[in-house]
Amino acid sequence: MTVLLEAERLCRNFGGLKAVSEVSFQVAEGEIFGLIGPNGAGKTTLFNLMTGLTPVTSGVLRYRGDLLTGLPPHRIAAQGIGRTFQNIRLFKGLSALENIKVSQHVTTKSGLLSGFFGTPSSRAEEKRVEEKAWELLTLVGLSGRAAELAENFSYGDQRRLEIARALALEPKIVLLDEPAAGMNSSEKYGLTEFIRAIRDQFKLTVLLIEHHVPLVMNLCDRIAVLNFGELIAVGEPAEVQKNPAVIEAYLGAE
Amino acid sequence: MTDFLQNNGFLLVTMVQQALLAMSLYYPLMCGQLSLASPGFYALGGYVAAIIGTIEYFAPWRDSLGWVIFPLEWLAAGIISGFLAVLVGIPALRLRGIYLALATIAFVEILRVVCLNLEITGGAIGIFGVPQLFESRWSYIWTFGPLLMLMLFFSYRLDRSRVGRAFKAIREDELAADAMGINPTRYKVLAFVIGAVLAGVVGAMSAPFLNTWNARQGTFDASIAYLAYVLIGGSRSMWGPLLGGMMLSALPEILRPLKDSRLIINGFVLVFASIYMPKGIAGAVGNLKNFTTRILGIGRSEK
Repeated sequence: MTVLLEAERLCRNFGGLKAVSEVSFQVAEGEIFGLIGPNGAGKTTLFNLMTGLTPVTSGVLRYRGDLLTGLPPHRIAAQGIGRTFQNIRLFKGLSALENIKVSQHVTTKSGLLSGFFGTPSSRAEEKRVEEKAWELLTLVGLSGRAAELAENFSYGDQRRLEIARALALEPKIVLLDEPAAGMNSSEKYGLTEFIRAIRDQFKLTVLLIEHHVPLVMNLCDRIAVLNFGELIAVGEPAEVQKNPAVIEAYLGAE
Repeated sequence: MTDFLQNNGFLLVTMVQQALLAMSLYYPLMCGQLSLASPGFYALGGYVAAIIGTIEYFAPWRDSLGWVIFPLEWLAAGIISGFLAVLVGIPALRLRGIYLALATIAFVEILRVVCLNLEITGGAIGIFGVPQLFESRWSYIWTFGPLLMLMLFFSYRLDRSRVGRAFKAIREDELAADAMGINPTRYKVLAFVIGAVLAGVVGAMSAPFLNTWNARQGTFDASIAYLAYVLIGGSRSMWGPLLGGMMLSALPEILRPLKDSRLIINGFVLVFASIYMPKGIAGAVGNLKNFTTRILGIGRSEK
């Protein structure tokens, strides 16, 4: 097992609140790694620390041994870490196709002048961007609505578009923040299959936050459980499920 | 035709010039940044051209280069404006929304007061007798017109390029754009610089056009006028500032027969447009097009 991502004693305080406290874990290449915990446990904050949207208070985060902490979000994204957002942050006023084109920013080079003059390399690049955007839209089943504005999509479609947008970065790791929120049970099942399929197709490592326990147990190779900002358990689904601390956090002590 | 141009040439050229200045606000707005710095760069560009055109030091250049001095003035104004825009933009663009607008207004004021007090800018009197490029006023359409065409083509290409998409992504959601690998500071400064270079070049073209240049060229009033162009015209496409700039700069002249009451009508148009056309004239035209396509089936594109 090669360690791809490594968190070491990550902390983030908001005033007196320890949103994330001394969290350490490792994620192996190719893994689907679940992050669960009750509301307010610090799951999304942990994602924000990993993508640089929230600066860490202390601790370090390494990606293939390189330090990620302290880098701005766009540089972390450029290293190959894509994400979706719990409260969906698509570029609402842009079309579905454009949303995906935007995200190919780090894999393309065309500048102000080469774009203006339409140099052969920038035209070839633009063609690739267009093709790839269609490919990803087809993958998430939205190619029939490429020209529609993102804000006009249904909740579930917006979530799928957000995943496609994250994939456009050509990431090594994708962080999915509650991808199944608002989906019904058949959609949730479809999502499980979809996440496995993209992991295999794009050779991804997937980190996901999810509340729906059966989905997480079924999908994830390993699970980390957070409670009040602290990591209370890490391991395979079956062992985490039996862990007394996890049962206590979810159901309360007897 | 010649009579018409003699009588209205100045207005026509002014309309094109104002449309260009409206466009200089459009580029920062593509990134969602409301910058009102354009009058400052416009004034600066004009001073560059006026100084090169009048002071003794450049006399040998003027004599040997002939009309070629004018394009060189535009170039110099563009470079100086762009350079200053980088210096001003990096700190100023840390601010957002109304605070950025205030900071850029402050920049315009600082520049105005500096020019009012420097010797080289002619102090309060300004610079007179800036050499003319053409004999008649309407001939200046041959400088402003091609620049407007160039900028429209530039905007069209920008809208469909990697850089333009980065601008729009920042406008839509700066944080998400950052998480998708776009460096927001870099692109916001770039957009600010594009607007500044344009305003500077327009200034440099305007000094010979107006024959004189002084500190009244770049004022707070101008900031508000350009803002009105973009608000009324619309800021979501390049046609907005074009329409807004042309129509609003022509309006006071068209209403001139009404004497003093024209200001009331002018104000009424502004209020009416902002209430009933929140996306500007360009947005309203776009809606109308959607409406006719949907209801009447006119102009429906084949899919």
